[in-house]
Amino acid sequence: MTSPHQDALSPAQHAERFEAWQIALDAGGLPQFVAERLAGAAAGSGAWVATMTPAELLLARTHGIRPVATVSGTCWFHYGQSWTEGHAQGWHEALARIEREARAAGANAVVDVRMRTLRHRIGASMDFTLIGTAVHIAGLAPSPHPVIATVPALEFVRLLEADIVPVGIAVGARFDWLGNPYGSSGWGGGDWTALSDIQTKLRSFQSIPIMTLTNFWEGIRREAHRDLREKVAQQGNGVLAHTHFGQLIRQERDKQPPAYLGRHIVIGTVVDAKPGAGVPHPIEMVIDMRDDTSPLRESGGVRHSAYQNDAMDEEGGI
Amino acid sequence: MADETGIPEHALTRLAGLRRQGHPGGVFTSDFSVNEFLLVRKAGFEPVGLCVGSCIYHLGFQFAGWTSSVELDVLSTAMYEARALAMERMRQEAANMGADGIVGVRLTVKRLEWDSKVLEFVAIGTGIVHAKGHQGFKGPGGAPFTSALSGQDFWTLLQAGYRPLEMVMGSCVYHVARRGPISSLGSIGQNVELTNFSVALYEAREIAMERMQLEATQAGAEGVVGADLHEGSHGWSSHVIEFFAIGTAVLPIEGHAPTEIPDPTLVLSVNA
Repeated sequence: MTSPHQDALSPAQHAERFEAWQIALDAGGLPQFVAERLAGAAAGSGAWVATMTPAELLLARTHGIRPVATVSGTCWFHYGQSWTEGHAQGWHEALARIEREARAAGANAVVDVRMRTLRHRIGASMDFTLIGTAVHIAGLAPSPHPVIATVPALEFVRLLEADIVPVGIAVGARFDWLGNPYGSSGWGGGDWTALSDIQTKLRSFQSIPIMTLTNFWEGIRREAHRDLREKVAQQGNGVLAHTHFGQLIRQERDKQPPAYLGRHIVIGTVVDAKPGAGVPHPIEMVIDMRDDTSPLRESGGVRHSAYQNDAMDEEGGI
Repeated sequence: MADETGIPEHALTRLAGLRRQGHPGGVFTSDFSVNEFLLVRKAGFEPVGLCVGSCIYHLGFQFAGWTSSVELDVLSTAMYEARALAMERMRQEAANMGADGIVGVRLTVKRLEWDSKVLEFVAIGTGIVHAKGHQGFKGPGGAPFTSALSGQDFWTLLQAGYRPLEMVMGSCVYHVARRGPISSLGSIGQNVELTNFSVALYEAREIAMERMQLEATQAGAEGVVGADLHEGSHGWSSHVIEFFAIGTAVLPIEGHAPTEIPDPTLVLSVNA
């Protein structure tokens, strides 16, 4: 028997595949060889591939959920106009692409979807990758819009039982300037009063809230939340936001009070929940008698976010 | 079909690719984990929206004599006031959404990198409403309650027969006296307690706790759960320290008897 690895691709074949990818991405489709592999997995002619743990496989099987294939979506995105909005655009594009692969695999859902990014420093750009396990649910026809669940298979099943379907990812993003140094508003612009008020407060010896800056900064957060709400409405009726990222940056200017840039990004798992459905399972309280590390007390952390908790990114721009 | 898989009908319809047109109940935002979301629902509540309040605060200067252990009351007031303002703005946003309360409130303080005297206070949590419109969970004066408890702790608190009322805080910024040269000389080569330092820490902690307790009493609470004491220096000189006490004031739920509370099961996990 020969290993599939010995069957290496020739440079010509590589070039051919590369071109097929480009055509597919432009057209919003998939290369022939990917479509074939996924269709094969859907038909059961190849082995299925799942990121699930055995415990997750066990629970999935009791609910008629069968893994089909590992699917992914990647979008390497350059921030030409806005860093903040680039994050939203990048993730939403990756979401559309993973959905495409899931559809090709005849899936109803993709579970255990992880948000990934390489921490590279290639220009003003970042790659947005989603990877997860496409699954098929017994008795259902393949879905024209498979749901993309950024939760592990265990949580996926628990949510379904409570009549909650995790359906996708939403990113709410907002940035704004107080005294835009790149704007056309001229010397100080309309923000002049606010900026000089901030300067006065910063120079005082008193302990006082700086309300102009507070209102500006809080407004950005609220706008990001509103944006999140709008993105959510396109997919479901609620969101569990696991990632919050915000920065208030001061930019010194010549012969003018410094300007402020605020930016905020919120990312979460979109759910489609039947309102007031309740939770069918009884909850039993247990106390673990183990003294050392207990698997019951161990914190899982956020497994499915590409961001280290509320990580601060030092990149510039807006 | 639902019997085969144990998945409810509505969820199956969604998985088949059919989407309901519009969402009559509107869209909610939250920062819940999956488990928190399930437990808040189990407790009979539904999330409405993320509530945020903040305050960017310029901290003034207060002089303290080299050898005196004193509270820097101007700073204590400032640190308290800034947090209270952030909390109030968050509570206002919740009230505008029609929330009964806010759970999982995280209150953070951050020093802005471009000015050491400017602190950013942020309060963020998820506004929730009772699914059946029960009005008995509101906080003082019919305003939304606030609670630092997670979704898990919220469910457990209700099981225990209590409901959250509001987050209570106490702050004390204290200047610990430096030791004079003569007393320093006296303790060379000896193991001695630095009594004035011990007393200063005791006193600062005591003041912060007292203030929090008083706030809870004034709110009409029976007690405070999840009380925690934080020490922070927020970039001040090494002899200035803030003691900050925070907790969730609670009231008993009327008609809830302790006998309703099930005994927890003791387990020993063997897969450690």
